[in-house]
Amino acid sequence: MTGYFSDIWRLRHFWMALVRIDLRQRYRGTIIGIGWSLLQPIAMTAVLCVVFSAALGQSIREFTPHLLTGLTFWAFITSIVMQGCQSFFQGESYIRQHPAPLAIYPLRATLGAGFHFLLGMLIALAFVWCVKGFDNLPALAALIPALLILFVVGWALAICMGVANVLFQDSQHLIGIVLQMLFYLTPILYTREFMLEKAPRFAPIFDCNPFAVMLELIRKPLLDGRLPSTWAISASSIFALLIVGLAALALYRYEKRMIFYL
Amino acid sequence: MSLIKLEDVGLKFHVRRAGRVSLKDYLLHGMFRRSKRNSFEVQALEHVNLTVDEGARLGIVGHNGAGKSTLLKLLAGVYPPTTGRRVVNGRISSLFEIALGFEPDANGWENIAYRGYLQGETPRSIRAKIEPIAEFSELGDFLNMPVRYYSSGMKVRLAFSIATSIEPEILIVDEVLSAGDMAFQNKARERIKTLMSAARAVIIVSHDMKALELLCESIIWLDHGKIQAIGPPEDIIKSYTRQQNQSKEKRQAA
Repeated sequence: MTGYFSDIWRLRHFWMALVRIDLRQRYRGTIIGIGWSLLQPIAMTAVLCVVFSAALGQSIREFTPHLLTGLTFWAFITSIVMQGCQSFFQGESYIRQHPAPLAIYPLRATLGAGFHFLLGMLIALAFVWCVKGFDNLPALAALIPALLILFVVGWALAICMGVANVLFQDSQHLIGIVLQMLFYLTPILYTREFMLEKAPRFAPIFDCNPFAVMLELIRKPLLDGRLPSTWAISASSIFALLIVGLAALALYRYEKRMIFYL
Repeated sequence: MSLIKLEDVGLKFHVRRAGRVSLKDYLLHGMFRRSKRNSFEVQALEHVNLTVDEGARLGIVGHNGAGKSTLLKLLAGVYPPTTGRRVVNGRISSLFEIALGFEPDANGWENIAYRGYLQGETPRSIRAKIEPIAEFSELGDFLNMPVRYYSSGMKVRLAFSIATSIEPEILIVDEVLSAGDMAFQNKARERIKTLMSAARAVIIVSHDMKALELLCESIIWLDHGKIQAIGPPEDIIKSYTRQQNQSKEKRQAA
């Protein structure tokens, strides 16, 4: 176990170089480069904000950072899942050549997605700072463990999807549909409070949706300057443990044999 | 203590007839009917017992598909044995499928760096090696170009230069002696010889019987995944070429 992680650490220069290449590759030949990563969520937020604040009667001041964090979070999840599915195929030529811990290939996907996620979070942070200011700075510290949980969950999720997709190519299509459904069951385009006011029966859905509770871990300190609810903390931790366990099991069973399925 | 030990090792591939299996196939055939219609098995290696000791210079011969490359990959740890046991004491450096595994959009220099990282280099240790690697590859200004635009010969030269810039403990080599054009081949052969003399143990696959006779102290003859014979180079190579010629004559007669 520790041997596995020290192997990953030993190869850190390798996977960090791959992540750098991926990031650079994404903006190769573009003029504003990384600006596209900033522009995309801002543009989406702007248009959705205009439409939904009118339709749902939300204040733009509150709704903008809500949308921005939600969309950034969701972009992180989708890109982890989709790139996680491809991670072992992408790394196939390395896997065939050099025995290395397989978890580094999903890690490559996670770090790439994580970079864009952090950029989005910085924009949201700047927005909240300008519009509202932070009256409760200590609550912001709660973001650190929240981001840590998110990173661990993301990595584990990418591993699970990578293994599942190598075993069954259907996985990526199946998970695509599942994600699409979850998108609407997670308070991203609407706020939790708004929905529960109209339809209280949605409460258990939000409480059991792991993505909804993880999103709360980030939004509560960032947008409201409050600590996340005990339920959000414990539910996310339980989900993190489950998915990490699943990833460990998947690696334990298939790490060595993966090469036969590629 | 031996460096590598294989005890009654077998390796069986499940090859799927129609590429990768879908969820539907798995549910229908796997769970309910247990039929094997969609896959067949290839016994790539069978009952292989092998000990690689300190100072060993081991060659492997056999016709195409005899399991030579599979055996090398199993020794290197890329394939796990499906039966039997593999014990390794030492660090293994392998040279096979080296032309694979470039990031096509990165240039030559960058590819040198992170291929080096995969071989366990650090940014500091690679800095000293990057110039000699570039020089050995003779690629010059092409190194500033994305690898995407390289010819296959150029890729092999770069890959060979990187892969051999190591201080190997146990060296595993698969026919890289045939890298690039004539001039580069001679250079490559010299480089391999230097590497081999520095390594604690060497295992090499080649179709070049003369080279094997020069480089190795003993030869394994693989046939259909089984070890047909192990012994000193002259004997094994003699009986191997005799058998090869016989089967050639038989084919011609028929």
